[in-house]
Amino acid sequence: MDKKKILEDGLLEQYLLGELSDEQEILIQKVLKEDADLRTIFEGLEEEFEKIAFENAILPPDSVKKALRKAIETSGENTKVRDISGPKKNDTFNTGRLAVAASFAAIFALSSFWLYNRWQTAEDNLRTLQEQTIALQDRLSNLEQTFEVTNKRFQTINNRNVIPLLLKGNRIFPESRAVAYVNHTTKSVMVNAQGLPPLEKEKTYQMWADVDGVMINMGLLPTDTDLIPLKYIDRAESFNITIEPAGGNDHPTVENLISNVLL
Amino acid sequence: MAADLKDTEFINQLVNGDKNALYLLYDKYSAALYGVILRMCREEDLAKDLLQESFIKIWQNIGSYDAEKGKFYTWAYRIAKNTTLNELRKSTPLIQTEDLSVYENKNADLEETDYTALKGILSDLEPHHQQAIDLVYFKGQTHREAHKVMNVPLGSFKSYIRQALMKLRERRSELSLLILLIEVFGNG
Repeated sequence: MDKKKILEDGLLEQYLLGELSDEQEILIQKVLKEDADLRTIFEGLEEEFEKIAFENAILPPDSVKKALRKAIETSGENTKVRDISGPKKNDTFNTGRLAVAASFAAIFALSSFWLYNRWQTAEDNLRTLQEQTIALQDRLSNLEQTFEVTNKRFQTINNRNVIPLLLKGNRIFPESRAVAYVNHTTKSVMVNAQGLPPLEKEKTYQMWADVDGVMINMGLLPTDTDLIPLKYIDRAESFNITIEPAGGNDHPTVENLISNVLL
Repeated sequence: MAADLKDTEFINQLVNGDKNALYLLYDKYSAALYGVILRMCREEDLAKDLLQESFIKIWQNIGSYDAEKGKFYTWAYRIAKNTTLNELRKSTPLIQTEDLSVYENKNADLEETDYTALKGILSDLEPHHQQAIDLVYFKGQTHREAHKVMNVPLGSFKSYIRQALMKLRERRSELSLLILLIEVFGNG
């Protein structure tokens, strides 16, 4: 680089002050090694700036040297810089900023905590709502199924082709009642046996159809069910209810006949 | 490069891990460096911390000092300046807490305090020469930043620095001659 340009551009002053880029620094260092005149000028600059510094020197308090000595002696080469000034009594500006920062941090922490709580509450509410929704869906599904069954049964008995037959109790169970719904078109029989008195565990009601003097099994009649579908028997002349051992019988026990109705 | 023989001795001792050499260099240069740091940061407590930090860096990095590239003071000055600038950049508030419209006046007020006032032969120079040296040497600004502060072209600012240094040397020569004459006539 041209010597005149170095001087006119003030590159030596900027090098001294540490303003140059790494590349420019290396270049100036090379030039200073090679050019005695420039080196002399640079040394003059160093002298001048050093004199300015000494003329404008300010004696630091003894506490700085003491703190430096302590830091060097106690921590060796890996010394970390320690705050030697203690509590900064005059540092109101920094303290103010720290206070503002601390306030923001506190507000942030509080608002975060509040938001977290709100979030947790919302999560709980959502969970509860989801559980309630699932429960309601189950209930709805059950209601739909129940409705479907009830509606089907209602349709079964509320039909002009259906003949309702009341089976009154005889002298054995004079208060007993059962209703049979017969549909000869669809060939179906439904019986409501809830009006029959409860039996011991080892016994059950069984229904029979009389066809030409022969009793044919139509099925068992549990008393805890409102409508029981039974077997439709062609050409049945009457329906008969007997008490039989639990599980039913192949032939009716005639002496235990409690009710019958002619078709 | 020309070097103070005492400095060379202290530096060699320091390189060999002699802590006392650091304290001797501290005794010699701490006031000059403290003057620079205090004028840059304008806060005594912070300046004390930064001076201590600068000497710890000198202690930790003395192995990288090359006397061929410049005087010890020049190297130490750069460490102190960079340490201070880094601290000032770090502590620059992200949120504007001051009215910027009065900021320049506030700086002007601070400059009037005793510890930031320029002393020695520098204070005899014309104001624009004083300000130019003050900005690059005691405020840590680069030439490119400082010429904008003075509102003059960069070339003019560089001329201010050259002229200021030239006048300082002339003034120093005049003073040396004056002291010599006083001594001669005083003894004669």
